[in-house]
Amino acid sequence: MLEVIHLSKKYGKTLAVDDVGFTVPDEKIGILLGPNGAGKSTVIKSIAGLLRFKGVIRIQSLDSRTIEAKRHFAYVPEIPYMYDALTVREHIEFICRAYGVSPSEEEVKALFDRFELSDKQDKLGNELSKGMMQKVSICCALIIKPKVILLDEPMVGLDPAAIKELKAQILALKESGCTILISTHMLEMVKELWDVTFVMDKGRVLGTYTKDSLAHEDLEELYFTVTKQAKQPAAEGR
Amino acid sequence: MSAIGYLYKRILINRVKIALRKPGTYFVLAFLLFYFIAVPASLKTLVQGTGIDSPQGMAGALTLLAFWLLPANLITYAKRKGLVYRSCDVHFLFPSPVHPKRVLLYAHLRTLFMALLLNLFAIVCGSTLFHVERWRLAVYFVYSIFIENLLEGSIMLLLYGSERMQEKQRRLVVKAAYGLVIILLLMVVYTYLQEGLSVESVSRFLHSDMIQTVPFIGWYIAVIHLLFMGPTAVSVAGSVCYGLLLIAVLTAAWRMKCTGDYYEDAMKFAEDYEEVLASRNQGSGLKQIGKKEKFTKASVRWRGKGAAALFYRQLLEYKKSRHFIFDLNTVTAVLAGAGVAYLYRNEGGFGALEPFRLLVLPTVAAYIIFIFTGFGGKWAKELKSPYTYLLPAPPFCKLMAATLMQHVQSLVNGCLMTAPCAVALSLTPIEILSTVLFYMAVSAVKLYSLTVAQIVAGSSLGTAGRQLIQMLFLSMALFASVLGAILGMAVGGVLLSLGIMNLFLILFTMIYMVIASLNFYNIET
Repeated sequence: MLEVIHLSKKYGKTLAVDDVGFTVPDEKIGILLGPNGAGKSTVIKSIAGLLRFKGVIRIQSLDSRTIEAKRHFAYVPEIPYMYDALTVREHIEFICRAYGVSPSEEEVKALFDRFELSDKQDKLGNELSKGMMQKVSICCALIIKPKVILLDEPMVGLDPAAIKELKAQILALKESGCTILISTHMLEMVKELWDVTFVMDKGRVLGTYTKDSLAHEDLEELYFTVTKQAKQPAAEGR
Repeated sequence: MSAIGYLYKRILINRVKIALRKPGTYFVLAFLLFYFIAVPASLKTLVQGTGIDSPQGMAGALTLLAFWLLPANLITYAKRKGLVYRSCDVHFLFPSPVHPKRVLLYAHLRTLFMALLLNLFAIVCGSTLFHVERWRLAVYFVYSIFIENLLEGSIMLLLYGSERMQEKQRRLVVKAAYGLVIILLLMVVYTYLQEGLSVESVSRFLHSDMIQTVPFIGWYIAVIHLLFMGPTAVSVAGSVCYGLLLIAVLTAAWRMKCTGDYYEDAMKFAEDYEEVLASRNQGSGLKQIGKKEKFTKASVRWRGKGAAALFYRQLLEYKKSRHFIFDLNTVTAVLAGAGVAYLYRNEGGFGALEPFRLLVLPTVAAYIIFIFTGFGGKWAKELKSPYTYLLPAPPFCKLMAATLMQHVQSLVNGCLMTAPCAVALSLTPIEILSTVLFYMAVSAVKLYSLTVAQIVAGSSLGTAGRQLIQMLFLSMALFASVLGAILGMAVGGVLLSLGIMNLFLILFTMIYMVIASLNFYNIET
């Protein structure tokens, strides 16, 4: 389970995230939606432990800053950055050592096969295309078998086969009891995946919606309705 | 092996493997080896002349270094800017369950190689220049690698990683570091007023008991004096204080709470660092970490069409830049020109080289251009932009327009380098013109030979292949111009020799330009 409670974050005097709170239950896929500048990246970076913030973030009921919580948590950033001088295989090896996991050779091979990386294992980080880097980044997140995974625009740069594979992997993770939070603008890509969605704008969560409660409305419609609703008071004020 | 150990080891091994495949590495190694031997050798006369060729001199030199390095390190750590993290660290290392203290130590560990190299250099200097006994040098090496790093690492952990320390306290540390510098400066002023300025007074100041009583910096200096000059009451007391400080700081660093609050600052630093690296890769050496490039308002009168747009866009960018067309190359050129002029005036000529005095500045210029000038410049960006290839103009015109500003820059730099020498050496107008032309021609040959290498090597040969071919083209132009110079010298003297060199370099520039224009046919080349 991923819990974000009263999260606030200021950059200097600018309030980027204002008292945000949401929960993604076990075995559920949460989607974080919002226009550019809504504060999604700040929320994601706070969950990933990259920012100082006010409030509480819990991963599997543990404070997200603890080493124990980090062991259960995987993060796929929007823009992947590889170590120039590490090969694809060495990235996986490093992550396994960092998280203290020992996957079998078959598991690593299967993961590489699924993301068509088997013939790229000896390539250095600076020899990979952006799409390949994204695949390696996803593999590094999946190899630790996380309990909570955070994916920031994970489909950007991936080819259709990889997107299909990633979707299958996300559903498999869900089946295995993993909690998933995806931040994306590509609503089409996640419409068959989501269980709960959080719509953000101007640093606040405007609404939390579950798939069951929106039987006839799709994600795109919901997004525009909610963000338009958010703009109404300002328009009325003019 | 821990994740950090694995990361450090693999990166080091792979980097060495990659470096050994590049011919450039062997040149760098040769230069390093040259400097390792040449610098101490060239300083030998100076050190002997000033009478500091003793272990006392070594202690003095290290004391001087401490004045500069220790406060600077303290300030950068307190500002959370001393450690270099890359975006890949932010991606993989920061969110991982590796303890944030270890992540800090990993960044510190990366500076160890350079520290090792500098300490080896200090040992070479200690042995050849200051005649320090071997056992003292061995003790110093062990001390500087282990004890000094332990103290620096602990201070870094405390200042960078401590979450109990508030921003205000960190600022206090910065002020304290400046305070220590001010105390030392006041001591300098006091000594100057008492004893005046001479080699003896500087030496007495560097070895005085007074500076060994200054906290932290003084205590380090006390250890150095104890090591190289034997015990005195003050150096022993200072060394004991140093030891106590080490124990206190080490214990505090061990026990402090650190959950990764510093990641935010480190991430910001990593982003700024990547930006600066990207900017330097594109040929701009002006961007500084954490400082946004400021632009002023400017305009140009756009003339011509087609490829001319490239030139005017560059001109507009330069006009908006606060430094206009002046950059590090300009600074180097001015310093080199002034240095040669000063040497000439100070020494009353070039001695045995006097008959070839006209060739001294061009030789220095060629050395600087080849060794210190970075690849690219603004024009290199043009090759990466798809719009360059869509412009309705012949490739040669695009090349001319894209590189014209670069030639203007080298003209200005060449003039600035030649001006002080022209005065000091009383050069004639034709000699001045030839020297400036030489600077421009060498810059141009270097510029175009790199692009030619890019075409010939393409992407199939990789960086190593490209560097090899680049060197081949450079050597061809240089070899031909030196042959021309020898011919000119035999026939008509130094001026003719410089003239023929210029002619050959211009010829090669033109040939390379024609080949380099192929780069502008499509983005693939």
